[in-house]
Amino acid sequence: MASTIVEKILAQHAGLESVSAGEVVVAEIDFAMVTDTRAVNTIKMIDKFGDKPLQFSKKTALVLDHYSPPPNLEAAQTHSTMRDFSRTRGTHLYDIGDGICHQVVPEGGHFTAGDLVVGTDTHSTTYGAFNALGTGIEGTDVSAVMMSSKLWFRVPETVRIELNGPLAPGVWAKDITLAMLGRFGAEGLNYQAIEYVGSAVAAMDIDDRMTLCNHAAELGAKAAILQADAKTLAWLKAHGAKEPKPVFADTNAHYRQQLVIDTETLAPQLARKHEVDDIIAVTEIDKQPVQFALIGTCTNGRLDDIRQAAAILKGRKLAAGVRMIVTPASRQIYLAALREGLIEILTSAGASFESAGCGTCVGITNRLVPGDGDTVISTANRNFKGRLSNKNADIWLGSAATVAASALTGFITDPRTVDGGHWRSRA
Amino acid sequence: MTSKAEGTASAARSAALVLNGKAFRLGDDVNTDIHCSNKYLPGKDPAYVAAHAFEQLSASLATDMAIAGGGILVAGAHFGINSSREQAVHVMKLMNVRAIVAKSFGRQFFRNAINNGMPVFECDTSTIAPDQVLEIDFSAGQLVQENGQSIVTAQILPKEILAIVQCGGLIPFLQKYPDWKFA
Repeated sequence: MASTIVEKILAQHAGLESVSAGEVVVAEIDFAMVTDTRAVNTIKMIDKFGDKPLQFSKKTALVLDHYSPPPNLEAAQTHSTMRDFSRTRGTHLYDIGDGICHQVVPEGGHFTAGDLVVGTDTHSTTYGAFNALGTGIEGTDVSAVMMSSKLWFRVPETVRIELNGPLAPGVWAKDITLAMLGRFGAEGLNYQAIEYVGSAVAAMDIDDRMTLCNHAAELGAKAAILQADAKTLAWLKAHGAKEPKPVFADTNAHYRQQLVIDTETLAPQLARKHEVDDIIAVTEIDKQPVQFALIGTCTNGRLDDIRQAAAILKGRKLAAGVRMIVTPASRQIYLAALREGLIEILTSAGASFESAGCGTCVGITNRLVPGDGDTVISTANRNFKGRLSNKNADIWLGSAATVAASALTGFITDPRTVDGGHWRSRA
Repeated sequence: MTSKAEGTASAARSAALVLNGKAFRLGDDVNTDIHCSNKYLPGKDPAYVAAHAFEQLSASLATDMAIAGGGILVAGAHFGINSSREQAVHVMKLMNVRAIVAKSFGRQFFRNAINNGMPVFECDTSTIAPDQVLEIDFSAGQLVQENGQSIVTAQILPKEILAIVQCGGLIPFLQKYPDWKFA
């Protein structure tokens, strides 16, 4: 039977010839990730079964990222519990400052193309950038995986989105995903999987592909997945992943919907305050002041994002009244940015760096709370009211280039207007 | 270890999952993190949250359900949308919610309900009148109202899912069937 990528991966992991959308299957999991937001409950459930050895421990990573560094005693105790569990049960552990789960799990080479990966975070869709089926689950789910190596899934329908054409300089995967949110609405693809294909995807580097798959979570998608190509295979090899098993869709596979989108004319996009699907092109915004610029998160805290910001801000200063904080998505990215001189460029411009982790997104750590009446421009994936612990601040979302251009002028700014758009090679 | 015979018996019991109770109506897009967990409702105590659950959407629902000794929640599209907290299902169990009927469910909420032993029934709920007593046969995929009208769902829960629900959730299911082989 002709199948989509997701149908094939689920069938392979359920030991079945084929599966189709709507069916429920019990599938073998290749790797599981548990963040500090769900770890305590998960550990409690597993401990109820006694201390018999967990075969799946070596395929599990505990990641201390949402409360990194811990803002209070409760979070610090959660981290102690995770370290103890990891040591006694033999799981992988990523401690504070190591980075965000969706960055450190691929960087650690823990899975490969064709794998089925689960994590206790909605943005586990990110793993689809490597042709792995990654999906978000909860504490009970991951406890079951750690105890039995299996989990039940309802096979999702797939939407095929073909992104054709080049991206204009200054336009990135973030702008595409924001445009998708404008088109489908938040949760508009609830339950469904997305296959992104086309020349725009082929042209993207791995960082941008991860953004594309990550932000699918806001569409409600169960997964977003790309084909593996030479770039994917080279990246997986460089990060020590096991032998890839690339999975391709059959040409006559059944899709719920097929779209073809021309990316050439796409302008940088923004999500306006409070609503992740209130999307507008940056060209439509006139003189909207900003006070707080944030670059980081699992959506856009990668090396290329930091490069974009450094290229725009090199030898310049943030506009008066604007402050900027950068949190690299992982320690590896932090170190790479350090080696490339990007941290010096941005720090000289007036930005501050905080440790790698989820700080710029969840606002519960790293002293990132905006003041009343502030407008925040952020590379995060969520902007609902109160997201950064202040209901009286507005959060807008855009690409790293848009955030840096806006921090430079003090107003929401189209990055294509900085240096006539010729800033890419400055840093 | 579970014998094959026991497994088959359980599957047979799953086939007989029938529940009834009074309908308590809610609308579309109910976010259970906001309306039914301690994420936004003040107080960490689940009993407190259960006494106030959904009050912004339906002022007397929690009280009425307590007086009725429990019932069936009936909602529109996307019940549990954007919600990931499993605690919401624990709170609903404290409220004696016996089942949830909705036009559709948020992806993670659907998993959480099943993993915590809460039966879910997906169908067009627009014709379900408030306060009707409903009888739901999950394995047949049929809901019958007190007034005689019946609704058939296209989304019958497979036997694996019914078995998890009947065991009271995924963890008790695995305690009974550690290798997932139950039928």
